[in-house]
Amino acid sequence: MFLRQREPLSFERSVPGKRGMDLPKLDVPAAKDTRPAHLKRSGFDALPELSEVEVIRHFTRLSKWNYGVDDGIYPLGSCTMKHNPRLNEKVAGLPGFTDSHPMAPDALVQGNLELVFTLQEWLKEITGLPGVTLQPSAGAAGELTGVMLIRAYHVAQGAKRRVILIPDSGHGTNPATAAMAGYDVVELPSRPDGTISFEDVTDPVNGKVRKGLKTLVAELGTEIAGAMITNPNTVGVFEYRFKEISDLLHSVGALVYMDGANMNALVGVARPGDFGVDVMHLNLHKTFSTPHGGGGPGAGPVCCAEKLLPFLPVPVVVRDTVKVGEGEVPKHSYRWDWNRPQSIGKVHTFFGNFGILVRALAYCLSHGSDGLREATLRAIVNANYIRARLKDAYALHIDSPSLHEVVFSDTLQAKHDVHTLDIAKRLIDHGYHPPTIYFPLIVPGALMIEPTESEGKDELDAFCDTMLAIAKEVETDPEALHQAPTLAPLRRMDETTAARKPVLRWTKA
Amino acid sequence: MRYLPSSPAEDRALLDTIGVARAEDLLSGIPEPLRLKRGLDLPTQGSEQEVAWQMMDLANRNTRFCAQFLGAGAYDHFVPSAIDAMVGRQEWFTAYTPYQPEISQGTLQHLFEYQTLICDLTGLDVTNASLYDGGTACVETALMAVRVQKKRHTVLVSQGLHPLYRQVLRTNFAPHDGLKLVEVGLKDGVTDLADLQAKLNGDVAAVMVGYPNFLGAVEDLTALAGPVHAAGALLVSVTQEALAFGWLEAPGKAGADMACGEAMSFGNKPTFGGPFLGFLAVKDAHKREIPGRVVGQTKDLDGRTGYVLTLTAREQHIRRDKATSNICSNQGLVTLRANLFLQLAGPEGLKGLAEQNAAKAQHLRQRLLDLPDMEPVFDQPFFNEFVLRYKGDMAALQEACLAESLLPGLDLGRFYPEYQGCILWCATELHTRRMIESLVEILARVPATV
Repeated sequence: MFLRQREPLSFERSVPGKRGMDLPKLDVPAAKDTRPAHLKRSGFDALPELSEVEVIRHFTRLSKWNYGVDDGIYPLGSCTMKHNPRLNEKVAGLPGFTDSHPMAPDALVQGNLELVFTLQEWLKEITGLPGVTLQPSAGAAGELTGVMLIRAYHVAQGAKRRVILIPDSGHGTNPATAAMAGYDVVELPSRPDGTISFEDVTDPVNGKVRKGLKTLVAELGTEIAGAMITNPNTVGVFEYRFKEISDLLHSVGALVYMDGANMNALVGVARPGDFGVDVMHLNLHKTFSTPHGGGGPGAGPVCCAEKLLPFLPVPVVVRDTVKVGEGEVPKHSYRWDWNRPQSIGKVHTFFGNFGILVRALAYCLSHGSDGLREATLRAIVNANYIRARLKDAYALHIDSPSLHEVVFSDTLQAKHDVHTLDIAKRLIDHGYHPPTIYFPLIVPGALMIEPTESEGKDELDAFCDTMLAIAKEVETDPEALHQAPTLAPLRRMDETTAARKPVLRWTKA
Repeated sequence: MRYLPSSPAEDRALLDTIGVARAEDLLSGIPEPLRLKRGLDLPTQGSEQEVAWQMMDLANRNTRFCAQFLGAGAYDHFVPSAIDAMVGRQEWFTAYTPYQPEISQGTLQHLFEYQTLICDLTGLDVTNASLYDGGTACVETALMAVRVQKKRHTVLVSQGLHPLYRQVLRTNFAPHDGLKLVEVGLKDGVTDLADLQAKLNGDVAAVMVGYPNFLGAVEDLTALAGPVHAAGALLVSVTQEALAFGWLEAPGKAGADMACGEAMSFGNKPTFGGPFLGFLAVKDAHKREIPGRVVGQTKDLDGRTGYVLTLTAREQHIRRDKATSNICSNQGLVTLRANLFLQLAGPEGLKGLAEQNAAKAQHLRQRLLDLPDMEPVFDQPFFNEFVLRYKGDMAALQEACLAESLLPGLDLGRFYPEYQGCILWCATELHTRRMIESLVEILARVPATV
């Protein structure tokens, strides 16, 4: 692991004359310089001069300061850090896929088109929704696509609407997305059990009344374009009144968007299309285990109901059946359909993060219908096991039945002046990546733990034992927590100065 | 199932501790009527071998080529072996966004280096930890320009911008009733200065031009900057082939205020269009309006240098509907490929590679012009792509090339009615003289139009 405490920036290592890339011999005449003099590249200030050996050592050393899924449990709630099967990496690197050009005629990329079509069929059956686009590059891009579908639908109905409702427990991407799609956001309050409140809610601290779903629907009516609802929500709880919520919204012509970030709790168990969802996104990098890559690339396919099909981004993949003789197995050919007059247009330059789609299909084929359901159930069992083992040591601010993740609060530890951040940092000293912290916002000092199905009993026990030891330590030696981490390559970072006087790149001294 | 670690006895122990008889009992929070009463109507699980074969079968159903003379936003370059080897380390590809800096210094320092290099290539001060791709980078840039340029609501877009980037822009501008996207025409393959002058007014926040543009032509940013700045607008350069930065002056030094585009050329294959790498670089004065993750340098409690995600007050998880963008995850691992590529190349490698691209494209153009059916359309400086008019039968040309496993350039008629019968050709360091000669020979044999 951390063999060295410091690895300089590569720029500080640069020595003139070193090369990490040799070029092939030029077999055509050298380029004539046709550039206007002022557009000729003048030079570089930072590009380092290093050999391949040094570049590889630099990035190998840096890598050792990262924690990965193969190091152990990575319990970031809502992020779904599953095992990343190596098969999926291998097939994504097949030259038949990587060499294929996005502008090549359809007849030459039949394998890619069939892959897109097949993955869409899987996602349709999993969500119970008849329309899919694989174009959005990430969950947030999927949200934006979904909300633009809602907008296009209302515009086609002749009534431009103004408002999107979003629960206060929602991901920050939801309100940011609604704003990017030109909507005003109105917040829905949560009930003490973490689900959306139909009734008005009075804040116990300041006495302010926050309007519940019923009031908002009555007052805003046809101004409501839709609602963005995470289900299971960010507390890991199923919105058990989802059908009533969608019926109420539909009664004023509003549509229901489901944030599918937590779909890994529902695959093979329940289908959004069966409980009133009109449009939703899936995070292939969560539910379908494509690697997170230090922050991407992901993929955020959008699935939608019949009434939104005309608005899907172009192009849409189409399967044609090729005529064959009697008794022969029917053959198919695939093509992109660009001629869709009501489409919202394109949301990615080409067809999305195709390499990620390859991995997701490999995940589907490996798991199959039976494996997908089993993965869901095991993720739920694992989260509930952690909940059972830790619920006496850490407060469950919300006591509703947990699905794939469990959210604790730091209220018991706060009495000893130890807070969520300290607990998270202490976990690092014990060799664990901390859970998601301070989210969702409706839980004070939230510690959101999602083990996923990738952990076995040994790994879960070791993690729980550590969490229990830390809870003891809070009482006996709170200072150890305030100082944590002490065993990582660095101690806590000065984030205030980083933001106040930003240094965002290296410059020559 | 090989990816699920618990044994039956361990499963039993987990359920006993929880206090339920079966895993299904934990679904009590989902109302019974909303549950799926049947198995998913999909194939059952597959072994590694079976899945590998199925996927290989799909990959094999794509046509392979000896050479592709097609660029148009997705460029085929050589990828050094060190890149795949390094990116295959689990510490890089399985990690998440570096929310916990003490345990993510690898990713954070890498991103700081990546940011430094994007700033170096573009000649601007600040960049972020990436955007999805060229088209979506244009959207984020245009929306940022409108934020920065308060009370200006129009973005002028040259028709020299990648036609698909313009489509993505249109999609994302449609919901904003107050914003206008206006196209500026082309003349001789570059932005028409007269049309630009006519459309510049006090409402124009920014002007976006390709550098080089979709037709391969090098727009004179410096000449465009004059009128654009005089109108109080920002000049945005959009680069779809980032390798051009080894050949052309940094946009920030040539007059651009913002630079965005596509950097897939640094260490990636065309991969049917993604994952690619969107970038956006801006001036220091605008840094607090930039979308997406940004990494900054700081100190730890002991005064040791380290890196953190910073300027988070712009972001969706803090600002919600007031954020600069909804972007959350980006193209993390693709930035690693770009960083590795650029550090391996170094200044000499990058310049040398760019010169080879220019040389190959010039040679290809020269040889194609030796054919009687090919003729120039306009005369502009270019990097590794250029346009020629083909007087023969386009379908016959396409067929002849494919029969010999060569993928020809792009038929521009699909995107530009005025360039009907014209082809956008691309050559990179991968194209040997021999491949170019094969292409010329095949084209020489294409039957004349009937």
